[in-house]
Amino acid sequence: MSTNLNNSNVSQGTAPIQAPGDVITLASLNKWYGDFHVLKDINFTVKKGERIVICGPSGSGKSTMIRCINRLEEFQRGALIVNGIEMIDDVKNIEAIRHDVGMVFQHFNLFPHLTILENLTLGPIWVQKKPKAEAEAMAMNYLERVKIAEQALKYPGQLSGGQQQRVAIARSLCMAPEIMLFDEPTSALDPEMVKEVLDVMVELADEGMTMLCVTHEMGFAKKVADRVIFMDGGEIVEENTPVEFFEQPETDRLQLFLSQVLQH
Amino acid sequence: MSHPVVPSDTTTPTGGRIFHPKAAEPAPVTVVGKQAWLKNNLFSSPLNSAITLVLLALLGSFIPALADWLFISAHISGQTQDACTGDGACWVFIKVWIQPLMYGNYPDASLWRVNLSLILLGAVLSSPYWLPPKLRNKVDIMLLLAFPFMAIIILDGRLLGLEYVSTAYWGGFSLNLFLASASIILGMPLGFLWALGRRSNMPMARSICVVLIEFFRGVPVLALFFMGSVMLPLFFPEGTNVDKLLRVWIVLTLFMAGYMAEVYRGGFQAIPSGQYEASAAIGLSYWQTTLLVILPQVIKVSMPNILATSVMLFKNTTFLMIIGIFEILSTAQNALTNSNWLGGFSTEAYLFVAVIYWICCFSMSMVATRIERKLDTSHKS
Repeated sequence: MSTNLNNSNVSQGTAPIQAPGDVITLASLNKWYGDFHVLKDINFTVKKGERIVICGPSGSGKSTMIRCINRLEEFQRGALIVNGIEMIDDVKNIEAIRHDVGMVFQHFNLFPHLTILENLTLGPIWVQKKPKAEAEAMAMNYLERVKIAEQALKYPGQLSGGQQQRVAIARSLCMAPEIMLFDEPTSALDPEMVKEVLDVMVELADEGMTMLCVTHEMGFAKKVADRVIFMDGGEIVEENTPVEFFEQPETDRLQLFLSQVLQH
Repeated sequence: MSHPVVPSDTTTPTGGRIFHPKAAEPAPVTVVGKQAWLKNNLFSSPLNSAITLVLLALLGSFIPALADWLFISAHISGQTQDACTGDGACWVFIKVWIQPLMYGNYPDASLWRVNLSLILLGAVLSSPYWLPPKLRNKVDIMLLLAFPFMAIIILDGRLLGLEYVSTAYWGGFSLNLFLASASIILGMPLGFLWALGRRSNMPMARSICVVLIEFFRGVPVLALFFMGSVMLPLFFPEGTNVDKLLRVWIVLTLFMAGYMAEVYRGGFQAIPSGQYEASAAIGLSYWQTTLLVILPQVIKVSMPNILATSVMLFKNTTFLMIIGIFEILSTAQNALTNSNWLGGFSTEAYLFVAVIYWICCFSMSMVATRIERKLDTSHKS
């Protein structure tokens, strides 16, 4: 509902209109860091409710790609459309896209000077202008969903890594996003804490959230993903359903990657 | 030392061993307690023991003489310098001159206005402790920013219908306090704006801020005072007479802002980029991110340097004697050259000034340490 409101005052670019049901469209997306060509002609679309796992060796551009989707990174050529809004320099468009897209980071990035509850209510109160009581009630609701409500008044520094990451997920959900981006959400966690975070993500997937997840958790990919994307050298090398992806990789590059990742 | 009893059920039904974590034991006496502290800090090696003994002997040799001069042989009764005979300190001098030292030439009948302003300063500074938590953040900052102007209105008196006291009569240690607090209070937010400008992507804002910061940091504060009192009037339109004290206040504020901007810059560099990214992902605007997420963390990281800069500024207010403002040090020098008090009381006078300054600066660092501890949310508990 609020998305439609936002759509009415965003600028229209020259990019192709999204097909119905598509929520993210990347068309010939190119990005350079100085002289370094990070993303080479990326083309792909995400449908509403799809769960997509992106994997690949480090430096393959997978994080950069999903960070383009909510403009933590800018791209130089091509087009990106999120929920019918084209990503251009117009602040209105950027705000509207960020409204629809939530993000979870590798290093949680909670605000250390605020309590867990304040971390969750900051966005709803200041961006969505919700009354404090309503924002807090909603925040407690989400904290219960990630099974951490009893920590609401503590500070992030007092929580374990797994708890912090669950708080970070709840913080994103408080903004009621339609799409969630996960940038290696379990890579900075102790092995014993990976599961509690993945459980929350699986639950979210089961509820039908559109998810893009950069991760090395192949078990999660097999269990949850609708499609798995393999990137290397700034390109999408292969994309397929999990079964095909793991059982019958087409390219030698993916075969090599899987043989190394799945060995241990 | 009691060892935890090994539980009898040491195997699981499947034959595995059950892991029982050991209970924590109290630390041995060699680690905690007074005796351990003495041993570890004062007598940890033969060399350290020797140093401890030498220092104790040194202290023992001059403390009695110092105590004798300060207290035992000191004079406090009487009203003229004739009351001071013998070797002890002459506190009569301080007693007689205490009012000018504290209040300058402010009229006797209106001294309550200075006291009121001092109480106001104390109240404003301690407001985080007595305001109800709900009002704290907003009202605190308003009170702080309003304090310099409230103090000026009370001390000046015209707006309140009180007797007008020209700034020429303001003086003494209260003036040092007012000038320092007023410049610190206004210099801190101004410095933050300059620091933001220096980090900005806008070339114009950035160059202006860099020039301002580098100018006020690069020029000695004494030179700034002379510029303020001699050069600044040349830039004002002819006929306007901007009060000297006001000019000095402006100079001090800008000086403070220049230093604070660099203090904040260090703080900004300590904030991980993830904080900006998380704020952007939530949808916070530039100013929301800056004020709600970045500023509190910058202040926390910079607290030790904010204190150091504030203490430096407070001490720099004594330089004002050079341009003829009757702050505490110039009042003390005036008293020393008074024809009735030519008995050579400079030790007492400067010691008094030093002690007063030390008390204030030490309290400032105590308060800052408390604030630091309060802001520290990273601890595990």
